[in-house]
Amino acid sequence: MSSGSLSWIRVRAIARRHTYVLKRSPHRLFDVTVWPLVDVLLFGSIGAFVGQGGGSGEKAFGYLLGGIILWHVVYQSQISLSTGFLEETWSRNLLNLMVTPLKEAEYVAGVALFGMAKLVVGVGLTALLALIAYAFDVTDIGWGLLPIAAILLFVGWSIALFVIGVVLRFGSGAEALAWGILFAVMPLSGVFYPVEALPGLLHPVALALPTTHAFAAMRAILDGRSIPWDRVALAAVSAAILAGLALLFLTKMLGVFRKRGFISRYA
Amino acid sequence: MQPVFEAHQLVKRYRDTLAVDGVDLVVHAGERVALLGPNGAGKTTTLMMLLGVISPDSGWVEVVGHRLPHGRSEALAHVGFSAGYMPLAERLRVREFLRTYGELYGLESPFERIEEELERFHIGHLSSTMCTELSSGQRTLIGIVKATLHRPRLIVLDEPTASLDPDVALRVRTGLRDVCRDEGSALLITSHNMLEIERLCERVVFLSGGRVIADDHPDAIAKRFGRDDLEGAFLHLAGGHGQMPLPQETDRPA
Repeated sequence: MSSGSLSWIRVRAIARRHTYVLKRSPHRLFDVTVWPLVDVLLFGSIGAFVGQGGGSGEKAFGYLLGGIILWHVVYQSQISLSTGFLEETWSRNLLNLMVTPLKEAEYVAGVALFGMAKLVVGVGLTALLALIAYAFDVTDIGWGLLPIAAILLFVGWSIALFVIGVVLRFGSGAEALAWGILFAVMPLSGVFYPVEALPGLLHPVALALPTTHAFAAMRAILDGRSIPWDRVALAAVSAAILAGLALLFLTKMLGVFRKRGFISRYA
Repeated sequence: MQPVFEAHQLVKRYRDTLAVDGVDLVVHAGERVALLGPNGAGKTTTLMMLLGVISPDSGWVEVVGHRLPHGRSEALAHVGFSAGYMPLAERLRVREFLRTYGELYGLESPFERIEEELERFHIGHLSSTMCTELSSGQRTLIGIVKATLHRPRLIVLDEPTASLDPDVALRVRTGLRDVCRDEGSALLITSHNMLEIERLCERVVFLSGGRVIADDHPDAIAKRFGRDDLEGAFLHLAGGHGQMPLPQETDRPA
């Protein structure tokens, strides 16, 4: 990584460059419009069906809708950063960028800034549909929603950094990870259920994930309890560790990319 | 004179292939230097190490006093690069593409500069065109405008005129000479067009087998190898009559 402070002009240039691309490729809005709505319809309807019986079924309704809305924070932040980088490989723009003064952190900040706008649209749509179609108001979670969403945002970015590192090392063949990796993380994170519902063998893995503690905190609040700060703190610490590991991995892979001349794959 | 670029004993190996083998190169302000050699001689790998895109196995690179890789960002703020094989970003109009890169090079409001540079190469009318709708020659010109937009101390061009017709190639040469004269920029260029190099450059560095085997004025190089012109000297050297054996072609940038 290059040293020194970040340049706002360069961060803004990257964010704007991706805005231009989105403007001319409206099909890329699919990720922030169609999938979120399909997910809310699917999990909202399952929740409504299960909730008809009352009792714990009513709890499941909140868990499912709250879970899917907050899961989209992870999904949107991850997918926008990973596909932002993949766009550079698809349009063979990587060399153009690498010969400018742009620092790696500036690039990530620029794409993340652009991704934040997509995230607001994507998560906003899920929350709106949940409210209109199922009378589920995610803001009922209250102020506890903010730290939980912030942690999930960082988790999404960290997973994206890992995906970018893998693509730098193994080339475009690894890009399927950008969409596939979350399918592995989601069931392990107890997005819709307590971690105890998973097979015992998977408990240690699940408990090591920051998402597990973030969603457990969400369920506690939905159950009417006060914000479980111990779970939130655990989620924050493990998210920070994950971010550190992802940064280390990305830096290492960038070193391998430069050492082995992998730019030839994209130029 | 202060060097804008200095490479010391650069070595780069890809598995069994030694792509660059101890290259020393210094380029001074305002100099127009050609880096020549047959395919696989190590030209592009040398340029990529200069730009910090590929890290050398040993040796070092310094650009305007900034040592790579630590000072990469500061160094590259003074360098403009374009290559004939580099596409422009898709889904962007020319002015959007140039605005993006102008800002990446630190120009806060680059529009005036964009117009000036487009006019320098007589392509102001392309400003609103989508990058994907440009001919290969026009793409090359836009790439060169991108490389000169921020008035860099060093312009690095890799095979810039490979796809250009003689008329456009002349425009490129004239434009580049103007930039170097007006802005005091140094030029480091690779090309397989020897006539173009004779017309544009005052110094030729000839690479073969990853090593520098000649470094002089184009006429002096031709004379040294008993040829009438640079093309004769190139064919002589590339044909294995130089001091170094011919390199092997690789699938790596070289």
